[in-house]
Amino acid sequence: MVIFMELKIENLTKTFQGAEAVSHISYTMGKGVYGLLGVNGAGKTTLMRMLCTLLEPTEGTICLNGEDIFRMGAKYRKILGYLPQEFGYYPDFTVKDYLLYIASIKGVHRAAAVKRVGELIDQVGLTKVQNRKMKKLSGGMKRRAGIAQAMLNHPSILILDEPTAGLDPNERIRFRNLLSEFAQDRLVLLSTHIVSDIESVANEILFMKEGMLLHSGTPEAVIGAMPERVWRLTVPVHEASAYDRHYKVASRKAVSGGISLRILSKERPHSEAEEENATLEDVFLSYAGEQDPFSSEKTEEDVLAKRTWL
Amino acid sequence: MLYFELKKIWVKPVTKIAMLALAGMLAIICYLAIHGVYYVNESGENEYGIEAIQKLKAEKKEWNGLLTEEVIAEVIAENRRLNETEKGRSENIQDSNIVFGWKQGFHDIRLLLMYSFCKFREADYYLPDALVPEDAHSFYANRSLHLQEWLAEEEQQHRFSEKERAFLIGRYDMLEERAPFYYDYADGWKQFFEWAAAAIMLTMLTLSFVTAGIFSGEFGYKADSVFYASYHGRGKAVAAKLEAGFLFVTFVYFAVMLLYSVVVFGIFGIDGAELAIQTNGRWKSFYLLTNLQQYVLTILGGYIGTVFILLLTMLVSARTKSPVAAVTIPFMLLFLPGFVSGSSFAPVGKITGLLPDRLLDINQTLSLFYLYEIGGKVLGILHVLPTLYAVLSALLFPVICQVYRKLSAG
Repeated sequence: MVIFMELKIENLTKTFQGAEAVSHISYTMGKGVYGLLGVNGAGKTTLMRMLCTLLEPTEGTICLNGEDIFRMGAKYRKILGYLPQEFGYYPDFTVKDYLLYIASIKGVHRAAAVKRVGELIDQVGLTKVQNRKMKKLSGGMKRRAGIAQAMLNHPSILILDEPTAGLDPNERIRFRNLLSEFAQDRLVLLSTHIVSDIESVANEILFMKEGMLLHSGTPEAVIGAMPERVWRLTVPVHEASAYDRHYKVASRKAVSGGISLRILSKERPHSEAEEENATLEDVFLSYAGEQDPFSSEKTEEDVLAKRTWL
Repeated sequence: MLYFELKKIWVKPVTKIAMLALAGMLAIICYLAIHGVYYVNESGENEYGIEAIQKLKAEKKEWNGLLTEEVIAEVIAENRRLNETEKGRSENIQDSNIVFGWKQGFHDIRLLLMYSFCKFREADYYLPDALVPEDAHSFYANRSLHLQEWLAEEEQQHRFSEKERAFLIGRYDMLEERAPFYYDYADGWKQFFEWAAAAIMLTMLTLSFVTAGIFSGEFGYKADSVFYASYHGRGKAVAAKLEAGFLFVTFVYFAVMLLYSVVVFGIFGIDGAELAIQTNGRWKSFYLLTNLQQYVLTILGGYIGTVFILLLTMLVSARTKSPVAAVTIPFMLLFLPGFVSGSSFAPVGKITGLLPDRLLDINQTLSLFYLYEIGGKVLGILHVLPTLYAVLSALLFPVICQVYRKLSAG
């Protein structure tokens, strides 16, 4: 059994048809929860797929305790748990059968698998539907089954790509609690668009943009290192669009007397603007530029295609 | 793991639909096999069903025994006598049917007369009516005589080497040494063989819809990422898929064959198991087999052919990740030989003779004169095919595993 100590990424690059989806990333991860942030197409999924040995890097290495994970093969996968962004399942399997099957291909012995499946079904709140076919589950339930499968083998390295997509607020809270409990003595890498999910659980944040690792550190450190400051300003409705053009606007809210704007700027945008505390979402906007991460429906492939075209 | 892989196959709607369709087709085949035999009553009308089969059996059983020259002469004489009756000379269809009814007890032997006295590639149903009892002495000798005439044709001189000619003549001599053949009622075997190819081919084609999705299914469901990221994802789990496919094919194939055998032999009986296949429609075949041996060869040959074609389907499914591409393989292997086998160029025939579809229709393959010289020894197509495809199938197992293990997740 491999005892996890550190996962070292060195000069990692992945190229698709000439375009770099992941570009020369170097980073070392120890135990803890790592939040991976970036807009669609930033290269998060490609990076995660390489960490799961699903894609071979064009350049660079990923080493677990100094050993290349692609050479380790099954030995590495034995301690790996993975929830892909597009989580596929067997539609005619019941939840229980699905998890028992995944446990079997993860090398979990039958008796241990039965026990573990029961525990996880309970922890992700699928007890009542455990004998229901996967195809008849709601989107949130499927996602929870996906989270459960990733944790079946008590992985030392857990990689979750958009684990909270499709979960309602209650389910997200349940997930965060489950993750906090599970993350002890493990490496958990999760990507999400919902910044608040990362904010509450991640020990370290990694920002990716256009395949590169832009910034990393603890949430406090990344917030502290943000190049811009955060301002609150209420302006008349007809002036709001002018601020949109000139500043990064984190949020807009209609209030009596106009629109309340949350603005990211190095300088005070207006004499009446009041400074506020920055959050991780502000940092996200700051690094991601003008792009609104919540409105974009682009996939990594779309962005790559655009990059190649340009 | 294997249990869940089998379950994965079984719970798919396509599998359930395929199995229902197969059950329906098998029922039709059984019906056709049973309905293909009829008894002609005294009024010249056809009777069908189990009772009719029993009546016909009783009449045919009266001719049980060694087909000596005397018996052959007796059949020729009886055939002539019945033809000379008023009804036998009549051109009225009803009368002809009545006469057929009188002859149905020795109809099988009358057919043997046709096979014996017709040359290679000839089939004249009325030729036995022109025979006289004195012709009976050449009943067995005709086989070798016609072979020699056929081999003397220019086309056959190019086709067979001296060694191959000697092989065929030697085989026919061995058959002549076994004469006189024993005759018994053997409609069960005849009907079984007549429809066995259809049953085997339909089973194989139906199963191809199931097996085509075994490997590509992971990609179709987008479950490949979790599969390949798992401990056994590039090892035992792939082997379990293959094992499940193999076991499913094996189970369904033998279940269909068992059911088909039980129905056909349950109704017709297994009389004639030890008869030479030459007395059961394969007069010119050079294989020295009994009906029972042909049955075993039909079942095993069909199984080897089915397994090979379906393993090939799984290989294409694993390589292309597409069930559609995979499912075209069995159809191509079944129907493509039909287009190319018409070639008069002898080597083409020899090559198409080695295609796996031949194993699915042993009854026809028994009549083929494809010979292969291996290590200085001449072998018939049926001496080569089962071993060849059993070995190729065994080789496909590791190839499929290797191909699927090395794929990238989608």
